[in-house]
Amino acid sequence: MKLAGNDMLIQSLIEEGVEYIFGYPGGAALHIYDSIFKQKEMEHILVRHEQGATHAADGYARATGKPGVVLVTSGPGATNAITGIATAFMDSIPMIVISGQVAKHLIGTDAFQETDMIGVSRPIVKHSFTVDSAENIPEIVKQAFYIATSGRPGPVVIDVPKDTTAPDKLFEFKYPNKVDIRSYKPPIEPDPKQIERAVDAIIESKKPVIYAGGGAINSNASEELRRLNEILDFPVTNTLMGLGVYPATHERFLGMLGMHGTYQANMSMHNADLIIAIGARFDDRITNTPKLFAPNAKIIHLDVDYSSVSKIIEANIAVFGQVKNSLKEIIKLLEGKKELIDSKKIIPWKKQISDWKSQHGLNHEMHLCETDDQPIMPQAVVQHIYNITKGKAFITSDVGQHQMFAAQYYHFDEPRKWINSGGLGTMGFGLPAAMGAKLAYPDDEVICITGEGSIQMCIQELSTCTQYNLPIKIININNEALGMVKQWQDMNYGGRHSASTYQSSLPNFVELAESYGHIGIKIEKNSELKSGLEKALSIKDRLVFVDVYVDPNEHVYPMLVAPNGSLKDMWLDKETKT
Amino acid sequence: MIQRKLSVILENKPGALVRVVGLFHQRGYNIESLHVDPVEDLNEYRFVEEKLNINLKEGEVSHLIIATTVNDNLLRQILRQINKLIDVLMAEEIK
Ligand SMILES: Cc1ncc(C[n+]2csc(CCOP(=O)(O)OP(=O)(O)O)c2C)c(N)n1
Ligand SMILES: [Mg+2]
Repeated sequence: MKLAGNDMLIQSLIEEGVEYIFGYPGGAALHIYDSIFKQKEMEHILVRHEQGATHAADGYARATGKPGVVLVTSGPGATNAITGIATAFMDSIPMIVISGQVAKHLIGTDAFQETDMIGVSRPIVKHSFTVDSAENIPEIVKQAFYIATSGRPGPVVIDVPKDTTAPDKLFEFKYPNKVDIRSYKPPIEPDPKQIERAVDAIIESKKPVIYAGGGAINSNASEELRRLNEILDFPVTNTLMGLGVYPATHERFLGMLGMHGTYQANMSMHNADLIIAIGARFDDRITNTPKLFAPNAKIIHLDVDYSSVSKIIEANIAVFGQVKNSLKEIIKLLEGKKELIDSKKIIPWKKQISDWKSQHGLNHEMHLCETDDQPIMPQAVVQHIYNITKGKAFITSDVGQHQMFAAQYYHFDEPRKWINSGGLGTMGFGLPAAMGAKLAYPDDEVICITGEGSIQMCIQELSTCTQYNLPIKIININNEALGMVKQWQDMNYGGRHSASTYQSSLPNFVELAESYGHIGIKIEKNSELKSGLEKALSIKDRLVFVDVYVDPNEHVYPMLVAPNGSLKDMWLDKETKT
Repeated sequence: MIQRKLSVILENKPGALVRVVGLFHQRGYNIESLHVDPVEDLNEYRFVEEKLNINLKEGEVSHLIIATTVNDNLLRQILRQINKLIDVLMAEEIK
């Protein structure tokens, strides 16, 4: 088969099984757009801003585990995509970003809409390619997908000079069925010696905690983790990125750990004698002051990325490989040693943890109120959504207090249902990410829990939802402020709210949603909260924007004391420190 | 802390070198000296071929030598970061 460069590029994507491509056209990408027009296998989703394209592709990738694909033009199109690429990079999300580029003979001449995309994106990609010649397109696309999805996943940029997609030059097209990159061999199977050492440490421990993160989700290791803990019955905590990898409603689940983690999760980590880290990277939002982190714990660290191990916290036992495979090997060995596992040994530890939980665990009832003399509490909004959806919805979120309330009060039993920007903390992520998840799972409920600050960072995507009829639900937890910023200002800056409120400049979100052709609902009273949310979630075929006014003075707790605090140092409410 | 020399074998492709150099800045490490040449005489590089089970051709890879002053932990971290780069075949300390 003979094809031109533009058709080869699109045909290569089709060979990779791409269903959706999120993008925005422009001069340097027009040959490629013409190829998209001529095919039927793949649907192009026209967003309203390139940032939206990257987040939508990212949401699709997080929901499905398959790489998200983005197409943008050169110059401003490419630079607009940067925030979304960085977001995917920080959370290790597989993504392919195809950026148009000026023709090869113009590169370096400051041509119209020329930006050095490879240079600009270098620190935030797993790898990048420049198409030097049309003939190489199939090979480059094959390698890009392999790199993006294998090992520790991440975004890969393919920069495509316009002349390499010219429709008038034909080449023999054959999509490679194998790929081998001699300089790139991510670890797959763990070292059996390390597995043995890990199992010995597990059997010896009296105060163990399993600490699982986003890597366990990326590696689709949820099933293995659950099986492992059927044998061990250890306490489990998940990072913000790992929520759902272990069922939140399981008796052994401690809740999320870290900055806004539960009291019992943080106390368990601090006092543990063994921490089994599974696809988690000891981020500073988890460890608090590294020197003070879990002073008595031995660390087993399962990860696919060598450079994540012993970066912040020295691992005693490092297990490199796909964490799914490493867990399988641990399970196999443990099953042979079942008689050595003394479940009585950890009874006092479990008792201690359940005491912590009853002392200062999350209080669900506290926030629920039916009377209108009290403002709506943001936690109550999340709890109602959880109850109405029976915990089964995909929840995307933005960044701020609403995000933490969603993470704390929506209890995820399945992986990939919680979709948020944990590493970069990108406001504006939630709405486009929900579009990606909804396209992947049209029959599932997809809800974006956002704040009035964040939603305005990609609000233009409401128009995309109209064009493609994406009936997602947006729950705007409206505290009329950049709440998380304000909380820090309350706690650390004497309540000086510098640039964290809007002085009555917020739009009427109900009318705004309606002007895009959606349904808007405003909720201001406790007595309307449950019924209003029920009504919104009962509408299946339309996008509903629910603007819920909540208590503007609420803070997120627990909150780690920083700087110089450890994991046992927490604010439990506005007055109480541990 | 003493100065360390790192030896990096990488694909001789456009953009490969700048990824290694850029990484030092991104991660907050300092480059004190830098030397790079394409590998022409393969005889000295048989160990790379053996370790990775590959055959090299003349001029196909480059040899980069970087000096930096770091402690042991950071050195290990830098080497892991460099090794993670897709175009890098091998990175180790010159003892
Ligand atoms: C793009 C971007 N800019 C700035 C920030 C810093 N930031 C973190 S939370 C926050 C406030 C978010 O406000 P809102 O979306 O209303 O959420 P709330 O905290 O009020 O629930 C800001 C400004 C960020 N995370 N992302
Ligand atoms: Mg707000």
